[in-house]
Amino acid sequence: MGSIKRISKELTELTESPPEGITVELADESNVYEWKVIMEGPEGSPYYNGKFLVKLSLPTEYPFKPPTVSFATKIYHPNVTNDEKGSMCLGMLRADEWKPSSKIAAVLQFARQLLSEPMPDDAVEGRIAEQYKTDRGRYEEVAREWTRKHAS
Amino acid sequence: MSTSVTASTSLPDSRPSRLRRFSLRTYTQNLSLPSGQRSYRHSLSSRIPWRSSNADSISPTANSTTSPCPESDHPTLSRYTSAPAPSYGFGTELNSQVSSTESAASTPSNDLAQTSNSMARLRSISAVHRPPPRTLERATTNSQESTPSPEPGPAQSNATEPTSAPADGQVTPSKSETKATIRFFPYQDSLQSSRPSLPFVPVARTLPSESCVIRVGRYSERDGVPLPNPTEPSDAPVGFKSKVVSRKHCEFLYVNGQWHIKDVGSSSGTFLNHMRLSQPNMVSRLYSIKDGDIVQLGIDFRGGEEMIFRCVRLRVECNRSWQQQPNEFNKNTESLIKNLGKGETADYSGCRECSICLGSVLRPYQCLFMAACAHVWHYKCISRLLHSPDYPMFQCPNCRAFTDLSAEVDDSNDPEEKREKEPAEDGASNDSGEQTETVVPSVVETNSVQGPPDQLGDLAEEENLANDVENLHLQDDQQTDDTRSSASPAPNSSSDDLARSATTNIPGWQPTQPLSVPAGRQSQLRSDTPTSDDNPLTPRNDSGPLAFDGRAGMP
Repeated sequence: MGSIKRISKELTELTESPPEGITVELADESNVYEWKVIMEGPEGSPYYNGKFLVKLSLPTEYPFKPPTVSFATKIYHPNVTNDEKGSMCLGMLRADEWKPSSKIAAVLQFARQLLSEPMPDDAVEGRIAEQYKTDRGRYEEVAREWTRKHAS
Repeated sequence: MSTSVTASTSLPDSRPSRLRRFSLRTYTQNLSLPSGQRSYRHSLSSRIPWRSSNADSISPTANSTTSPCPESDHPTLSRYTSAPAPSYGFGTELNSQVSSTESAASTPSNDLAQTSNSMARLRSISAVHRPPPRTLERATTNSQESTPSPEPGPAQSNATEPTSAPADGQVTPSKSETKATIRFFPYQDSLQSSRPSLPFVPVARTLPSESCVIRVGRYSERDGVPLPNPTEPSDAPVGFKSKVVSRKHCEFLYVNGQWHIKDVGSSSGTFLNHMRLSQPNMVSRLYSIKDGDIVQLGIDFRGGEEMIFRCVRLRVECNRSWQQQPNEFNKNTESLIKNLGKGETADYSGCRECSICLGSVLRPYQCLFMAACAHVWHYKCISRLLHSPDYPMFQCPNCRAFTDLSAEVDDSNDPEEKREKEPAEDGASNDSGEQTETVVPSVVETNSVQGPPDQLGDLAEEENLANDVENLHLQDDQQTDDTRSSASPAPNSSSDDLARSATTNIPGWQPTQPLSVPAGRQSQLRSDTPTSDDNPLTPRNDSGPLAFDGRAGMP
């Protein structure tokens, strides 16, 4: 029950003063545990001009357990699984890294940062990570192509 | 020495007749001598090469065996109660205490090594506070306590404590910085392994000297049973009851201000963050370790089903001692907490949020929990983390510092040590300025201002007023109030600026107002502070993170 209070507090904060390029709303007004986040591709990245739908799920144990972040919009990125789940691997969301004092705003900002600077060493898509490291031009080309096709 | 021995023999009879707490204390005090001796003797014999090469460190040891007072008191108290981890800061304190007695007794020229003025001043104060005869006097006090009259005894011991203990802390801030502390906590790898590692009691060590090495190996009956957590500095070996740990497995060394680990030829390996340090039976090079590193000793054998075949996984915590000492953060928190319940005068503008519910923590009439690192939450919010499977280990969700919630309460935080420490501490100054601003106004108000408001403009009048208020405090039964007023190093009487800022703010006092005092003024206030020490009636205490006991302000 305590979690609802905190979550609504964070939601209010995020809707009142949203971080750059991020807008949040509840997927379903009656359920504070599922959020719909629209994340704009950061400038300078191949995802620029794209609007990505990100689903943020909060466990009932939040903030003691970390939230999960997944991309509903297909995205060509080494740290996002290239399947229907689109799970994103964030270091700070790992169970042993998570701190209850971390806020959702920080999580989302971190996720957006990851769009600008992928972390190929912590990748879930090894092939894309490999390409990112060896053939940056080709990677950006594909990422831009996917952004245009899926995220606009 | 002889007095305390007799005391200890006569004690057991009288124990039941007294309050439990006091009997415990005296018991440990008397007990302490023999056991303290034993441990020192043990360390002497086991570490002759080091001791003899280090003439300086031998003298305090010798000192300690002859005078029962300094070490006997606290270390054994906690040893007796077998507190698993009474915090390593405590250990350093004790060590510095040893050296302080030494320097106080010996020639002042020794002190040249530590050059700072404040240090010298502290030393001289400690010399005054603790004349050598006191130790004897104290011992006799203890023995007297075992006489039939139960009431005077405890009272006496209580009275002697605040005066004799201060020496503990006075030198702490300067000395303890150089002390290397390390703690080992059991670590369960939640991700990779399904099997739990060997459970063990958290281990804490404070090195007596930088050249010391903490040896880690298989626990052996032959080595004797080492105390898991000696409160005094120790390099006692750490033993684990597992067959996969070699007798000589690895060592922790402190080199150039950095902790290192070295495999000393273990057969099943030492792993630092999952990386094996050396081939079987080979000595590795030094690897530096940092706070939070995971060290694994050996590999599970036969699936680790039996406890004796489980590997050891430990989490290293080092260089956290700064958290155990007064710092800006915990002192600020303390002052905020002291303002709780002071009505509308209190300043909550700087109050913190509970990192769990994101609500404001420092409001009156709430159940709070404060960890040793001075982070505060609503009890309701944090209780989940308190009553976890890991209990009694508690990890602060804000700073990841570990605390042993079952550790014995350390009530050695003495009023006097704080008072002496404060002026010497630079980091405190900023904070203390703030403290006075927030604290003083409420004090003045609670004691009902004397004199009409038109006096406020006049500086001299203000001083009088402030003095009146202070005197009033001194007669006040509520010691906390007067503690606070003096503890903030710029007491009402000493500084005009402060008095003005305090008094002018009374009528329509706004929380934000006092914070606007310019920094220049604050420093001016600070320069005035030493005068407060001259007042013999100045109550002591403060700056400690949690000095809320009734002893605050006792002479």
